[in-house]
Amino acid sequence: MKKLLLSMVLSFGLISLVFAQDKVITGKVTSTTSGPIPGVSIYVKGTPTNGTQSDAAGRFKLSVPVNSKILVFRFIGYKTKEVAITGATVNASLEEENTVLTDVVVVGYGTQNKQDVTGSVASVKSKDLENLPVTSFEQALQGKAAGVSITAQNGKLGQAISVRVRGASSVSAGSEPLYIVDGIPITAADLSNTSAATSSLADINTNDIESIEVLKDAASSAIYGARASNGVVLITTKQGKVGKTLIQFNALGGISNPSGHRKFLNATQYVQIERRAAIGAANVGLADGTYSTMQEALDDNVPYVEDRLNRYSAGNDDYKTYLVNTDWDKAAFQKNPATQQYDLSLTGGNDKTKFYVGGQSLDQQGIVIGNSYKRYSGRLNLTNKVNDFLEVGVNLNFSNSINNRLSNDNAFSNPLQAVALSPITPIIDPRSGLVSGTLPGIASNYPLYYNPLISVDNAAYKATVYRTIGKAFANLNISKGLKFSSDFSIDNLNQNEESYYGSLTFRNSGTANGDGENISTFVISTNTNNFFSYNKTIGKSTLDAILGSSFQKSTTKYSSIEGQDYPSDSYKKLGSAATKVLATSNENAFSFLSYFFRANYKYNDRYLASFSVRADGSSRFGENHRYGYFPAGSLGWIASEEDFLKNSETISLLKLRVSYGLTGNAEIGNYSSLALFSGTGAYGGNAGQIPTRIANPELTWEKTKQFDIGLDFGFLKNRISGVLDFYQKNTTQLLLDVPIPQTTGFSTITKNLGALKNTGFELGISSENLVGAFKWSTTITVAINNNKIIDLGGQVINRNEINAAVANQPIGVFYLPEYAGVNPANGDALYYLNTTDANGNLNKTTTNDINLAQRIFAGNPNPKYTFGLNNNFSYKNFDLTIFFQGVKGNKIYNGGGPYMSASASNGFDNQTIDQMNYWDKPGDITSVPEPRLFAGNGTGNSTRYLSDGSYVRLKTLTLGYNFPTSVLNKIKLSKLRLFATGQNLLTITSYKGWDPEVNADYQATNINLGVDFYSAPQPRVISFGINVGL
Amino acid sequence: MKKTYIFKLIFASVLITAAFSCKKALDIVPVDTLEQSRALLTSKDVEAALVGTYSALGSRNFYGGRPFLMADFLANTNAIVWGGTYEELTQAINKSLLKTNGYVDNVWADGYTAINDANNVIAVIGKVEAAKQNRVLGEAKFIRGSAYFDLVRLFGKAYNDGNPNTNLGVPIVLSPTTTISDANYVSRATVAAVYTQAITDLTDAEAKLPATNGFYATKFSAAGMLARLYLQMGDYAAAANAADRVIASGNYSLTTSFINAFPIMGTSVGVNTTEDVFSIQVTKLTGYNGYNEFYGSSSYGGRGDAVIDPTWISTTYSATDDRINAFYDDGDMFTSKFANSFGNVSIIRLAEMYLIRAECNARLAPFAPIGGQTPLQDLAVVRSRANLTTTTATLADILFERKLELAFEGFALHDAKRTQTNIGSLSWNSNKLVFPIPQREMDANKALVQNAGYN
Repeated sequence: MKKLLLSMVLSFGLISLVFAQDKVITGKVTSTTSGPIPGVSIYVKGTPTNGTQSDAAGRFKLSVPVNSKILVFRFIGYKTKEVAITGATVNASLEEENTVLTDVVVVGYGTQNKQDVTGSVASVKSKDLENLPVTSFEQALQGKAAGVSITAQNGKLGQAISVRVRGASSVSAGSEPLYIVDGIPITAADLSNTSAATSSLADINTNDIESIEVLKDAASSAIYGARASNGVVLITTKQGKVGKTLIQFNALGGISNPSGHRKFLNATQYVQIERRAAIGAANVGLADGTYSTMQEALDDNVPYVEDRLNRYSAGNDDYKTYLVNTDWDKAAFQKNPATQQYDLSLTGGNDKTKFYVGGQSLDQQGIVIGNSYKRYSGRLNLTNKVNDFLEVGVNLNFSNSINNRLSNDNAFSNPLQAVALSPITPIIDPRSGLVSGTLPGIASNYPLYYNPLISVDNAAYKATVYRTIGKAFANLNISKGLKFSSDFSIDNLNQNEESYYGSLTFRNSGTANGDGENISTFVISTNTNNFFSYNKTIGKSTLDAILGSSFQKSTTKYSSIEGQDYPSDSYKKLGSAATKVLATSNENAFSFLSYFFRANYKYNDRYLASFSVRADGSSRFGENHRYGYFPAGSLGWIASEEDFLKNSETISLLKLRVSYGLTGNAEIGNYSSLALFSGTGAYGGNAGQIPTRIANPELTWEKTKQFDIGLDFGFLKNRISGVLDFYQKNTTQLLLDVPIPQTTGFSTITKNLGALKNTGFELGISSENLVGAFKWSTTITVAINNNKIIDLGGQVINRNEINAAVANQPIGVFYLPEYAGVNPANGDALYYLNTTDANGNLNKTTTNDINLAQRIFAGNPNPKYTFGLNNNFSYKNFDLTIFFQGVKGNKIYNGGGPYMSASASNGFDNQTIDQMNYWDKPGDITSVPEPRLFAGNGTGNSTRYLSDGSYVRLKTLTLGYNFPTSVLNKIKLSKLRLFATGQNLLTITSYKGWDPEVNADYQATNINLGVDFYSAPQPRVISFGINVGL
Repeated sequence: MKKTYIFKLIFASVLITAAFSCKKALDIVPVDTLEQSRALLTSKDVEAALVGTYSALGSRNFYGGRPFLMADFLANTNAIVWGGTYEELTQAINKSLLKTNGYVDNVWADGYTAINDANNVIAVIGKVEAAKQNRVLGEAKFIRGSAYFDLVRLFGKAYNDGNPNTNLGVPIVLSPTTTISDANYVSRATVAAVYTQAITDLTDAEAKLPATNGFYATKFSAAGMLARLYLQMGDYAAAANAADRVIASGNYSLTTSFINAFPIMGTSVGVNTTEDVFSIQVTKLTGYNGYNEFYGSSSYGGRGDAVIDPTWISTTYSATDDRINAFYDDGDMFTSKFANSFGNVSIIRLAEMYLIRAECNARLAPFAPIGGQTPLQDLAVVRSRANLTTTTATLADILFERKLELAFEGFALHDAKRTQTNIGSLSWNSNKLVFPIPQREMDANKALVQNAGYN
């Protein structure tokens, strides 16, 4: 302290001493990318007190001692520059400091230097997210953050995307992470009126995002307490920058195609297998005594099948010559659907006010007929420094999206279900000249099913969303190091879903004169955060801390009306419906009241300690269990700062961190603890009430205790850097919908019961392989997660009869009878008994009665490994990005198998190509049973329909060209880039379906995973784009 | 100056937070549902819960029609040609139900939902206005007794198959579920015990219910259900007496033409006919005709999956039988009984009562008949409506008449069992003709024992 005083006195002395011999320097400070920079600190090297700031035009004037040699230019966001004083004019051109951004990570209620972070945080920056033809930002994040597993359900636009941070940590409660945009929790719920979820995250423009941080361990996420078990995703949007206003324009246009197809029988094969199925059915009828002779059996079955083939051949005998050979798979997809995306953004500001204004127009056509997504969005991020004490600002995001949706995967009107129609059926019925199955004409039993192509012009399902997320905030610098931040926000989501099913869709909708629905959903979430932050450095100790509270209330209002009987299909609004068949409305709400505290301590730049705690109260739980406390602590040691490593040429960073803490999960229904009656028991026109839920007053948080140990490393001046983590997440008191005997009148109760565990490793490596003129860098993310349910109170949850949640198995494990192939003697489908005798021996004899076969744990729908591999190359002005992403160790169940791969034993559905390998005569060795029309030979759910789901995908390939400065100067642009991007260009997989990234939308839950059911593949998008900067 | 200003602001923010901190911030009561404690306070509340019990009874998975349809599928040999892809029904028509069959599980679940709803009403019957108490209690017991009867005859062995005192029926639950405890894990009662419970409920219902009650259950709905139940048990005297009480009430009459006994083909909203003793109400807003779903052609609101074999029609009905006209051609042949998705689901028709009385009298004492009408007279009532004359009324005649009159209305399986008539190559008491206890229920309740043939 004394020393400090002494040096201060000395400095003042020196300053006063040199005043006599000054000279005046003038100059201008500019940015290397934009114009003049105001507010830059300029001082004489070694004498920071002798300085000034640049003015609005970037100009400055400074008196310096005559013997001054060097001027220092310092400004936040730019590399500090030293310029030798050679004359009376000193100009400086400052380079933007990108490293500043990568060195700061956003954490809950603040930011932290990356070096000081002791938790496990994955950070993805805008450059890895921008300019991709995606609908929602999660798609751009796939494979880029280790331990964050992202899976689309299918290739329909606007559908929900499943995000799992370090595995699923709940069985029945929500498993999606908490999403925080610029500090506020946003509505991320599925608001779809169908069981196929949509994503309300799609309202956020990916190109507005500056960075995405995923808080993975307890140390980083526990500050969000009761909602942090599934991880927390922090989205930070772009902020204004001081300097000349930078105008950027981006345009992207592309064409999509399905990334995969499934192969079905052609007309010849179809007729062959159906005719064989008639013989198979006759065999069955003879065997069970329905017929006394084979001739009698054939006389009954063969003409029946011929009659049906004639029907499906549009009532003629063309099928006999295979004249018509329709490719229904092809018919389900649009021809060259286009994607267009236009962005305009302005970034700028001065020392008082900074702003970012962004706008986007996005227009995507889906690969499946009738599917499209449009979004118009705008954003304003504005801050104003009122004075040294007060900074205020607003973040405002508004968007309007229009999603023309498709029917659920399991609906006959799902275009992909057209593949079930017979290849002998023409698309256009020659009798009427209309699309087959269109009224008037033969439509009730022709084609085989409702023809989904009829829906293209006769049905619509449009979801329109208006979303406004607004936040006003103020930061007060109370005293040195002490700041108070307060914000208030409203996230207002209005969704309208309008559907109309015209008279021609009668066979599907069941209503002869049209059916229309209009559904409105309003979600209003208000939130306020108020907290103090404090930081102080004393000697070698640095302390920063926050203390505050937040309150959120979210109310959802929903109303739905449905009408039928329209004068004609030209009338589509409900005012024209003669019969109103449904009118309903409801409302529900939840609130969270929270207090939080965190302290980070650093000693000597190498020893780190952090502690946080949050007290969370939620309206969702019983009165005695409303508050939960979620503490977490972590330690870090930056070994590379120690003397023995500090001067190492090889090791540039070595940091060890360890953390442990408690987080919660509260993602259940808003009234799950209550016993409820509902007034929905009307009968025969009279009002009635029915019990709908039984109480559990003891209901409380699901608790996850997570341990994490991690190593951050950097070699060769950080040319190779990486992060390695091991974690163990133990979730107890699961919020479980426990199946109860239905003799109670209820099927489940929400209880805190059971436990599960996620254990895993994560590795992220970045390497600058070549740094010369030809640059090559590689980023690798690899994650291994082992999910295991420890205890479910003895319950087996197996609702879809495919996936199960059961103790000692991963969530969603495939639980199926084991298929044993075909009996060569008679063509029967066989199953292993897999019964266990008294001695514990497994009985592997086979049976043709699937009822007698015990179910086995047949595979895991969750990948064991997820990985991403990104390579960036650049040479001169060209750059190339090749990004692979993949999963390994998971299986996929083809839920459509019992229909499409049924060896024609389950009706007249067209069959997958592999079914031609059916058993035909005694002695045939095959795994496809004898075709037996309607006899269900081998069509029960079994391992027959299970396949490996591993894949590697060339997710993105981008080739870009940046015009050189020489050209830019001539055309007065700061940036001009042309690029071409391919999405999903290549998928390497052994899965025979459309796409291995799948989980049929209508049935997807935490447990129902990895099921394919006529699900559309991911699009392969080839697009071209341009970035222009003014 | 500045400092005061700042502190005022902070103070205000802290105040705002403090305002939220009061406990109210976390007290959010549901607005479109009602907490149980507030749901059953007044007579009107209980009456509304009774209406709710009917809506549960009328679920498509229960009296909306599906268990009747599934029973007919199990009993089908050559009448119904199944062309649908719902695996659950393919299993039924093939008589190879899987224990994982979702429809079987739905029947179980929705049957017990109706029972629990009835139990809720019965438990708070004291809250109902005195003048209405008997009616409300009677209706709830009618629903509960009917539900037990239908569950036990689907999930248990037939009453006449072996010893009903040892054969397992279904669990009996007589009090409403409020919380879950060990007491809720109920094991299966015997077939006889469940029948006894159903008889107790239905008898009590008949005693308490009024003779007329709009479209809700009446005294005679309960008597009609008892007639059916006793017939199933082989207690012919009790069956005939119960059927006779329905007929003798004079409250019901056969429709003039056969087709009028069923919902008008098309989309008009359901109304009861003069011969409906009890039916499930379907409107455009509530209810569901579970028969129509599969038997109706797609032009008549159904999926058109259950086609009727024209050969069966022409060989079963004589050309002069008016009932041969109760089929329509929409590419395939379909039964006209369920050609309206908004048509009521008839549960008990008067014609059945005549046939029960006739059968029982034929079996007991044809010339000293219960009800004073001979089997021939009763049979003639049913047949003359179909433009047929009647000369004999043997047991075989009457049983065949049931087939003609009640086809596709859910009788075939239970008639085959009680008359010990084999179905195709399957013995009448084959395990395959009994529903499995749903696997889901076996998993949830270890106290249950699976039916033979499904282990």
